[in-house]
Formats: sequence, structure tokens, C-alpha cells
Amino acid sequence: MSSVVTAAPYLILAAVCAPALSGLATMLLGGSRRLPRLTLATAGPVASVALLAIHLGRHGVSPADTPTGTIPWVPSLQLDISFLVDGLGAFFALLIAGMGVVVVLYARAYFGPDDASLARFFPTLGFFTSAMLGVVLADHLLLTVLFWELTAISSFLLIGWDRDDADAGKRAMQAFFTTGLGGLALLGGILLFGGHTGIWRWSHLIAEATTISHDGTVIAAFVLIFVGAATKSAQWPLHDWLPGAMKAPTPVSAYLHSATMVKAGVFLLGRMLPAFGALALWLPLLVSIGAVTMLLGAVLALGQSDLKRIFAYTTVSHLGLLVAMYGMGGASTAEGLMAIDWDLTQIASHALYKAPLFLVVGALAHLIGARRLPELFGLWHRPGTDTKVVAVVLLLSGYALAGGPGTVSFVAKELFFATTTHAAGLHPLLAVVGVMAMAAAACNVAIFVRLATTVLGSSTGVRDGSAVPEPDAHGVDRWAFMLWAPAAALIALQYLGGLVPSLWNRTFRGIEVNVNDGAFANGLPWAWEPFLHPGMPLLMSMVAIGVGAALGFSGWMRRDLVDVHARIWPASYRGIVQGGHRLFHSVQTGHVRHYLAVVFGVLTLCIGWAAWADPAMLRPPAGMAPLEYPTGLLLGAVVCTTAIALPMVTERVVRVLVLGASGFAVVGLYLVYQAPDLALTQLMFEIISVILFLLVLRLLPRPDRRPRIRVLPRLALASVVGITIGWMTLIAGHAADSRADDTPTLGAFFEAHSLQGSELTDGRGGEGRNVVNVILVDFRGFDTLGEITVLATAALGVWSMLPGRRRHREEEDVRVPTGQGTQP
Amino acid sequence: MRMSSVILRTAVRFILPLTFLYAAYAALKGHNGPGGGFIAGLIASVGLCTYRMSYGDRAFHRLLPIHPRWLMFVGLGLAAGVAALPMLFGQPLLRSASTTLHLGGADVHLVSATAFDLGVLLVVVGVAVGMISRLGEELDP
Repeated sequence: MSSVVTAAPYLILAAVCAPALSGLATMLLGGSRRLPRLTLATAGPVASVALLAIHLGRHGVSPADTPTGTIPWVPSLQLDISFLVDGLGAFFALLIAGMGVVVVLYARAYFGPDDASLARFFPTLGFFTSAMLGVVLADHLLLTVLFWELTAISSFLLIGWDRDDADAGKRAMQAFFTTGLGGLALLGGILLFGGHTGIWRWSHLIAEATTISHDGTVIAAFVLIFVGAATKSAQWPLHDWLPGAMKAPTPVSAYLHSATMVKAGVFLLGRMLPAFGALALWLPLLVSIGAVTMLLGAVLALGQSDLKRIFAYTTVSHLGLLVAMYGMGGASTAEGLMAIDWDLTQIASHALYKAPLFLVVGALAHLIGARRLPELFGLWHRPGTDTKVVAVVLLLSGYALAGGPGTVSFVAKELFFATTTHAAGLHPLLAVVGVMAMAAAACNVAIFVRLATTVLGSSTGVRDGSAVPEPDAHGVDRWAFMLWAPAAALIALQYLGGLVPSLWNRTFRGIEVNVNDGAFANGLPWAWEPFLHPGMPLLMSMVAIGVGAALGFSGWMRRDLVDVHARIWPASYRGIVQGGHRLFHSVQTGHVRHYLAVVFGVLTLCIGWAAWADPAMLRPPAGMAPLEYPTGLLLGAVVCTTAIALPMVTERVVRVLVLGASGFAVVGLYLVYQAPDLALTQLMFEIISVILFLLVLRLLPRPDRRPRIRVLPRLALASVVGITIGWMTLIAGHAADSRADDTPTLGAFFEAHSLQGSELTDGRGGEGRNVVNVILVDFRGFDTLGEITVLATAALGVWSMLPGRRRHREEEDVRVPTGQGTQP
Repeated sequence: MRMSSVILRTAVRFILPLTFLYAAYAALKGHNGPGGGFIAGLIASVGLCTYRMSYGDRAFHRLLPIHPRWLMFVGLGLAAGVAALPMLFGQPLLRSASTTLHLGGADVHLVSATAFDLGVLLVVVGVAVGMISRLGEELDP
């Protein structure tokens, strides 16, 4: 760990904060100044990209165990700000910032002339971008959790964007609840792990990877962290929030729910792979959850008709694929060669076709109002240049979704098939994952075929009788080209990387850490190379394409599928709300006597438990001399009598007076036992409390009837509590006397040091002879400060609940006095 | 809430200054003899409340023309200030200091904790008097 303070962490901190700051700055621009607003909002992510590029240019891609320097933050918690700009972090950061630029520009066209939406959108989006950059660049584990939670909050705001749509609010809550629960699991896992091993940094964790013992605590921590990652990345069975999040505006769907936020979980697994990949649980857990999610998502995607939901489910499917990929990374450390290759390329290829798909879907909703697949029927033949361009981008993106040759995602799919073949060689059971991957790929191909035939208006396309609805309400203006231009730019990268892999290799070879298979050691192959050297992966690809095409043209699986997992959230939500309601009403009855019964009952039980554990507590203390002061006995009798009389008196005012009599008898007791301070305090307090009680009681409404009370249980509880507390007081008072050894008591310490200090207190004394007061203002001065603060707060509460009448009185003063106040 | 008895009203005229005097004595003497800021605050509050009960709200307002909450604020500020002051000199919170003044023949021992105690006094007076007079207002016609 480097503790040298350099400029590097400040540079990265600036890169992380830039989008949020520029987003906030747009709030300063009022009214309809669209161009300055857009420029400012774009400047943030652009600055992030630039700062990251400067950092990478200066320091290069750092190894995973070498963080940037640190900025001290909370040294007592060993929490400081340091970043880890390794290949994984740098790749994700550039992806997030780059997509951030694209989405800001797209949002300008999407919201069009709607200034209010734009004014609200840019700050929220900037907030999210910064949070996401923080997640992928943080080195400290707790810093990761902090930014992780910030992404959950900002994503909640973005999903529930439409304030008039109740369903959007519910969906936002579902997403927040699911990922927030995962965030709590993540926090728990990290605290468990950090507390157990003392490792609080990713870099440290990766450096110590081989020395971490695989005991129960580490495994529990790993499972908790995995739960956090899986909920964020919408893994089965809690994936339902992701299709639900499609209620968000399309820029949000494109950015958060395909390209960036949902990949945070995958990112976390990538971070953990070097350290936890060797755990025996790593592979079975990740591969099983990931593979199930992959196949389920693909099948469900085929059974949707809403365009955004189709692509949401394919996203779920691809996230499952990525989790399974990282899972298989744990396969073969024993052989020294991991079954994982070019994982960042895999992630990038998904972002580079899924984001364009979403962007185009938003464009279609704007231009022709189509949101469902059947409404796209014959899109190609409709008039309008914009429509034609959008259709081309849609088909090109769909081709990449299908993983057709010539795109990066074709190569990425080959890589994944190669990974499964490799892993199947290590363990035959993993061959099942290969089959599932083929099925999922076939579904993707079928989706593309349906999309293409529908857009081109072919007879096998999807259509129904529904009329094409009206375009979106946002409207379009001269920025309309931005609806498709970002998508076109992104999809161009797909084909550029696929057709000219040397460019891709030059960019990615430097940051890819996991390049394990010899066949890919020199880089991704040219588009035709797999065909020259056919192998298992190519065979799997071809089978998937063949089956997918057949499925796409056929009439099978055209009905809408309902995801049974969509019931989990409403059911658990209802359960929580109703259960909470019931629990609340059974605990919070609103009757003071119930609360008191609970408080006293628990207190008595605790003391009883302590007495059961230590029976010495039940023995009467030695050295009691009850008959030493007859006056004391007499006063004690008065206290007891008044206490017994208290419940027998029915009139409230009389009760207060009886209570006061009891208090004054206690004053006498203090005097008898020579405690003048206490006596004086008690005396004054009794006077004031009697006045206060009388005032309050006169303000209370008179009860219409006496409530029927059951005397016996109350009497029993009162007796038990009274005897218990009395006994405790008795043995506490004699605790010092019955001490076997001569360890100094606190009382003796205060007595000895109240005036003069000793070596125990570095020679400082309280400078006073009144021990009680010295304790109050010196030894325990901080307590006193806290107490008077509480007192003042309580008084403020009273005054704010009973607002003053001074103004009324001043008005009255102006009038002629009625003679009520001043004459005797 | 008023108790308009001539005896009480006449007695209070003499009792009130005496309670103040005794409160001041208890507050300043508290470090070495029976007393202290809390007790002194309660004594002063009892005196003020008795005055208010016998003479009424308006007369009380003439005696104490500010809202009692200001006593509370000033007291809390004083106590917190005395508590925080040592931190300016690199000492821990609430570290007390003392000095001895030679006034003529008598030595007066001054402890910073006394100022803290005065803060406590003001808070107690402000809270007690403020709450009682506020509740009393509710009962006034």
C-alpha cells in the first residue's frame, strides 16, 4: 500500500465528481436556455473521460494490487479516499463516462422542447454518473458500498421519473427495495470480511489473495457480497425489478438498465474473482444462478411484445451469461489456466448493441409512437427519412444482438462458447451450461429474425390488429437527429471492432487481465478466421443460429409469456406491509399502562435473570443497621403510607398532593442521612413538580367515567416491580461494604480527588470541596452538558407544541385594563 | 393561574429578593459547600413562579421582559462555550482552570467550572419558568 500523497487521487476524485457537479450547475441556469444547459451537462462526463485519459496517459493501467495515493478522510476508521485504476476499473469508468456523454445528448432530443424535464433530468443523471464512477474506481471496500448505495438512490429517482404515473413509483420502489436489500447484504459481507481479516481494500485483497483462509466467515462474507452483486445485476430469482424498471424514460433505460448500473454486480464479481475465485463455492454458485438467469431471460424475451420489455429480458439473459462467465473463471486455477477470456470485451460488446437498441426504441416511440413489436410491422415501407435511418440502426443493432458474424458480439459469443468448452473439459457437468448458452443464443437469433421480418413487412413478421398509436407527447424539434445519431455511432463501433479486430485489440489488449486461452493470446480473430479453423465454438454458434432462424420464422412461441417471478414482489410487499400493520397495532396500543407494564416487566425479568445467574444477589447485605436512626424509619413509614394511599385516592389533585407528601418525606430522609445537596434539590424539585402537575392536570379533560381496571394483575406487577427495585437499591447501597477485596470504588476516587489531584489524575483535582458538585461540573461535566441540552430541547418541544399567546396579550395591553390583573 | 391573597403578595415582595440572593449564594458557593448551579436554578425558579402566581402574568412580564427561552439559550451557550474554550488552547473538552485573586486581605479562588455552573443555572431557570408560565397562560382567561 502506498501512502505517498500524489496528485493522482485528486485527479480521479475530480473525474468522479465532475458529472454530479456539472449536473448541479445546470440547475443554476433558469428558464429555457437549452443550449447552455446541454453544453454544461455534457461537460461533466466529457471532463471525466478527459481526466481519466490524463491519468492513464501519465500512469498507465495500474496492476490490480496498486491503488492510487490516498486522501485521508476518516483516519480513525481507516477510511480514506483512494482509487484503483486497474484494467477493470478503467474500462468501466470509461464506459460509464462515455455512455454518459451519449445519453446526455440523446436526452436533449428525447425530451425535446420539454424544458422542465430537462432541468430535472440533467442533475439526476449527473448524480447517477458520479455514483457509478465511484463504484468502479473505489479502492476502499466501504467507499464502494457508499457509492453503491448512491447508485441505488439515484436510480430510484430515475425509474420513478414520471411523477403522475403511480405504477412508475411502485416500480421504482421495487427496484430500490431489491437492490437496496442487496446493498445491505453487501455491506454486511464487507463488514464481516473486513472485521475478520483486517483487509479493507480491493488492492490489498487482491495482493493477499493466496493467503486468505477459506473458513466459514470468509465463505459467509462471500455469499453476502454475492447477494449484493446478484440483486444489482438482476439475477434469478430476483430479476423482476429490471423489466419493471422499464417504466423509466428511455435514456434512463439505455444508460442504467442496459449499459451501466446493472453491470455493477458483474463488475463486483470481476473485482472479486482474483481473491475469491479459488473458493469451492464460487463456481457452483455463480454458474448455476447465472446459467438459469441466462436461459430464463432469453426465453422470456422471446415471449414479450413490448419492445422495451423484450430488450430488458435479453439484458437479464446477458447479465446471467456474464455472471456464469465469471463463475467459470473459478474453474481451473488448479491447472493454472482459468476458463475465462476477454471478459471486458464480452461486457463492452453487450453495451455496444444493447444501448443502441434502447435508444432506437425511444426514437421509434417519438417518431411513430410505436412501443410494441406488432406496431413496427412494415416500418421500412413507411415514408420519412428519419424512419428509414432508425429502421437501419434497429436492424444493425438487432443483428449484433443475434451475434451475427462481422460484429464484436459474434466474437464475444465465440469466446463464451470457447469458455464453456474449456470448462466442460474440466468438469463434464459444465457441458450443460454450454447447451443452455446455445439455447439462449438461439432465442436471441429468433428475436432478431422476428424483428427483421416485422420491420420489412414480410409475411412471417409479427402483427396484430392494433392501430398505430400517436407519437410521444414530448415532441421533436431540430435536435431530432440526436434520436438516432448516438445509436448509430455506438453500433458503428460494434461493426468496426468486429470487422477490424486489430483496432479492438489495440484498445483492449492493454486492459484485459484475463487472457488465458492460447488461441486468443494475440488478440481477437478476424471475422473469417473462425471459419478457417472451425472448432467446437463455431459449431455451437452455427447450431444456435440455425435453430434460432428456424424458431424465428416458425409460428412457435409467439404467445405472450408471463414471468411467474413477477409475483414475488407484490406478494412480499403485501406481506411486509400487512404484517407490519398487525405488528404495529399489537405493540403500539396507545395506552400508557401497557407501555409501562412492558417496560417494568422487562426490567424485572432482566434483574430476575441476573439473580438466577448470581444467587448471591438474593442474600441480604451484611452490615445493615436499620434501627440506627429512628427518625429515618418514621419518614420511611410516611413514604410507604403515602405510596399505598396514592392509588386509593380518586381525585387527581389530591393525588398530586399525596405524591408531593411522599416527596417531602424523602427530603426529610436525605436530611436525616446528611445529604444536604440532595435534600435541597429534592425540595425545590418537589415544589416545582407539584406546581407543574397541578397546571397540567387542570388542562387535561376530565374523564367521563372511570375506566374499568383489573386490580389484581396491576397489584401483582406493582408489588413485584416495587420489591425488585427496592431490593436492588438496598444491595446497591451496600455493594461497597460487602466488597471482599480493597479495590477502590468510584465514590472513594471522587472523594479523594475532588479537591486535590494525585498521580492517578496527573495531579489535577476538581478544586472544590463539594464532591457532588465537582462530579457534576468537572468529573462528569460532559454528562451535565448533555443533560442541559436535553432539557433545553424538551422545553423547545413544549413551546413549539403550545405556541405562545404573547401576541394576544400585547393586543390586550393596548385596550383598557379590565382590572383583573393588577388589583388585589 | 393566580392566588390573590394579600398575605402571599406581601410576603412574596420580600421572599423574591431573598430567593435570588440565596440562589446566587448557592451557585457561587456550590463548589465548596452545599449548592451548585442546578439547585440554585431551582431555587430561583421557585421564587419566580411564586411571584407569577401571586401577581399574575402581566406583572411577571414586567419583571422579566424577555421570553424565558432567552435565559435558556444564553445559559446553554455559556456552558457550551466554557466547555469548548479549552480546546482553543489544545486542551481536552471541559478541562477546568483555576486562579486565585488577592483582594486586599482575602484570597478568592476562582474556578472556570463556576461559569459552567452559571450556564446550568440559566438553563434550569429558563426551562422551569418558561414551561410553567406557558402552561399557566393556558389557564388564564
